[in-house]
Amino acid sequence: MHTLIENLIASGVFGKNPPRDLVAAIVVFVMSLVVFLGVALPFGGIVTWVERRVWARIQSRVGPNRVGPQGFLQWLADGIKIVCKEDIIPDEADSRLFKMAPYLVMLAFVLPWAVMPFSSSLILANMNVGILYMTAVTALTVVGVLMAGWASNNKWSLIGGVRSAAQIVSYEIPAGLSIFPVVLMTGTLSMQGIIRGQGWAPQHWFLFANPFTFVAANILYMSSLAEANRTPFDLPEAESELVAGFATEYSGWRYACFSMAEWGNLYIVGAIITTLFLGGWQFPHVTSNVVAMNVLEVITFNVKVLFLVFVSMWIRATLPRVRIDQLMTACWKYFVPIAFVNMIGTAVWVAIWPDGNVAMGYIMFAGAIVLGALFIQRVIYYLRRSRMEVYFNPTI
Amino acid sequence: MSTLRTEEMTLNMGPQHPSTHGVLRFVVRADGEVMREAIPDVGYLHRSIEKIAEKVGYRGFMPYTDRVDYVCAMFTNQGWGMACEKLAGIEVPRRGEYCRVIATEFNRIASHLLSVGAMAMDIGAMTPFAHVIREREMINDLIEELCGARLTFNYMRIGGVAWDLPPGWREKALAYLDHFNPILEEYNALISWNKIYVERLANVGVITAADAINYNLVGPNLRASGIKWDIRKDIPYSVYPEFEFEVPVGNGQWGKLGDSMDRYVVRIREMAESSKILRQALEKIPPGAVLAKVVRNFKPPAGECQIRVESARGDMGWYLVSDGSGYPWRVHVRTGSFAAMGIIQKLSAGLMIADLVTLIASLDVIAPEIDR
Amino acid sequence: MVLEYVHNIKDTVSTIFEGMAVTASHFMRKPYTVQYPDRMPVRVQDTLPFRYRGILDVDLEICTGCLACERACPIDCIVIVAEKDQQTRQLLLSQFDIDIAKCMYCGLCSEACPTGSIHHTTEFEGADYSLESLIRRFVRDPVMAYKAKKGPETDPKIAPILSRGMAYLDQWAQPGGEKPAGDEPA
Repeated sequence: MHTLIENLIASGVFGKNPPRDLVAAIVVFVMSLVVFLGVALPFGGIVTWVERRVWARIQSRVGPNRVGPQGFLQWLADGIKIVCKEDIIPDEADSRLFKMAPYLVMLAFVLPWAVMPFSSSLILANMNVGILYMTAVTALTVVGVLMAGWASNNKWSLIGGVRSAAQIVSYEIPAGLSIFPVVLMTGTLSMQGIIRGQGWAPQHWFLFANPFTFVAANILYMSSLAEANRTPFDLPEAESELVAGFATEYSGWRYACFSMAEWGNLYIVGAIITTLFLGGWQFPHVTSNVVAMNVLEVITFNVKVLFLVFVSMWIRATLPRVRIDQLMTACWKYFVPIAFVNMIGTAVWVAIWPDGNVAMGYIMFAGAIVLGALFIQRVIYYLRRSRMEVYFNPTI
Repeated sequence: MSTLRTEEMTLNMGPQHPSTHGVLRFVVRADGEVMREAIPDVGYLHRSIEKIAEKVGYRGFMPYTDRVDYVCAMFTNQGWGMACEKLAGIEVPRRGEYCRVIATEFNRIASHLLSVGAMAMDIGAMTPFAHVIREREMINDLIEELCGARLTFNYMRIGGVAWDLPPGWREKALAYLDHFNPILEEYNALISWNKIYVERLANVGVITAADAINYNLVGPNLRASGIKWDIRKDIPYSVYPEFEFEVPVGNGQWGKLGDSMDRYVVRIREMAESSKILRQALEKIPPGAVLAKVVRNFKPPAGECQIRVESARGDMGWYLVSDGSGYPWRVHVRTGSFAAMGIIQKLSAGLMIADLVTLIASLDVIAPEIDR
Repeated sequence: MVLEYVHNIKDTVSTIFEGMAVTASHFMRKPYTVQYPDRMPVRVQDTLPFRYRGILDVDLEICTGCLACERACPIDCIVIVAEKDQQTRQLLLSQFDIDIAKCMYCGLCSEACPTGSIHHTTEFEGADYSLESLIRRFVRDPVMAYKAKKGPETDPKIAPILSRGMAYLDQWAQPGGEKPAGDEPA
């Protein structure tokens, strides 16, 4: 961000000798608006359309394809509809808490965008504790969810809220523990620092650096899914049991806040994993044109994040839900011990090879390719056996 | 420190709920997440079908039997047809019996598909339900060609069936079965053996063999507790003795014998067995008439008779009392779902609310069958 | 115990892997959806089988006024008024109403008809804004009932309707009738 501001001042856009602080404030403010209003909030809407199309193809159906080209404006129609609904507040509900809860959950969704590293110079706040800030701020959802469950004056909402709070708080532990291996390897908590510690090629990513970080990446991904209340951990909004969990009594745009926060969190989950393990915006240096390089880096970052978002949707369509006690067992008996082992193993690894071991990177990458080939072989097996027509067109 | 006062909550899983299979109501007394008791409340779908029989007569009642259990309507049709035939001493021609078996076994597959799909959806996986509906649609297409309707078939008549197999239907049915068997395996790979799913179902709602018999359970619910009892084999009717098939019984492989996973797997295996029966029936179907000669004004002699049919939900009993006139004196249907409601209250102590949903889904309860 | 722990992890990973492979294979398959009503090559009503039990229709030209359908209907949705006209000594149909809101599409009336006059069509889109329009009144002016002839029907207007009606009736199983040994080998 600093270089961007310097370049803008040097190019003379703001006149001869502008006051530096004011220029910095204006640039950051405009960029925040662009990020929040142009990227974060529309993403929360557009991803609903993508999710519905992806689920539909998995389920042998088509999904929304009437409202706008390929149904692209479906999210807009749904958004306008939900905003026009009546805002009902239950009579006996604690109305101040009831109204405040969606704001807290939206806050937990909106604040992490401040440290999102879109490219080497496009980051709103290049803090040196970036990843810690992100972890801390995403935990605000607990307060919002508990408030929503309690203030609704509804036993079912209360159950949903308490379940959700227990889940999010429990899964903070493995998530935090899985961030440590990366921090150990780079020695810094800042987002840009972690990305610069990796290279653009897969064998230089932290995902393939050593087997401990590979497992840590998976644990982080699954714990983040649990924190975001996504299947297989979506008890708080188990539709078939509790209608909508903690958000049952919400209607209209307050409910839209919860929904948008939940779907937008997918991007944040993807961004954390991309930054820590998939090399972030790193792209080979093909041109010395700064603007072109930044554009390429933004595209790389988004491709990786959107792939992870797609995988989240895919998992949600495939897996059933776990029960609350099984969720706790999985967290405390499986994820936490494994995360500890990862952390210690990475510490030992860093002690032995302080500068990293590229050979291991190649081996792990080759192993991942073998795994991918095995997966594709199973997919082809199911395609052949089922005798159904093979059809690639996603735009039916 | 004084003892904390805790209360138990009384929740109402009311008639309108996304996961009860039809219009059912449960009054749940729960202590947080764990239930003390779940009391079922039935009767929301009572339509006096048994009383209607006394008004519409024997022939006119056949479409009403579809509505007793609309998911497996062929079995109810067959039950009513057999009850009237037994009372009047009418014999159904062999080809008619084969047509009946083909229709009912297709309906068994469709009903079990819906049951396992709804169960997967209650557990949280949405995709298996959509796949199941797709397969059911294919079966419905076949039956639509056969009898003209997709849900309330009215296919059978007193003395046989109303329509013969149309030309080319046998090939389509065999082609569907060739498509169905790999899809069943794929379905199993997707959800049945999924570890999360197995963990949700194993050891939930264990029904011991003694309990199953004492509470009058029938069908897959009974067989999952280890008791090998199938009307098709033990009190054979129609042409079932001519087919070779197994009766799947639960074996407690994933948990205790008689848990929800056993009930689920028994249904999956029954679908495979039904497709075996269907192949044999479609190969061996003899030529001939499908409908016996029955007088227009059907008046069976006075008396009573009882018929048992192995429907998808178990042993469906039909009891018919006739007074010699053209209208029945009394009709009674005894369905497996009604009995299954009785055991829920006993099993619910100590179960979690999420498990109550699993239990209801695994018992394959269909509300219209409970209340008629 | 450690073995069970490792076994649990292995089971979870392998079954989730298989499940994801199945859903991934579904990405490459054609959706089964029929995009009714606008993105279809043919009208749905033309793709339905001949035996489809849709909304009832009556061909008054071949109705004999026997009231078999009214008697057979289990839900009393057919109302027919057929009286012998005093002057011409012929049966006169003055009312033939079917309440398609009550009709349960069971087919018992079509089965009972001797000429196939009342039959199910493949029409299923009957939704309308008024309850009155759901009572289909097939008689505008009183017509004479049809009298079946001894030999084949000679009137060129009625013959095709009658042959269609009889073809519809042929679909039903004949009590005690043998299946013609044509397309269904034993």
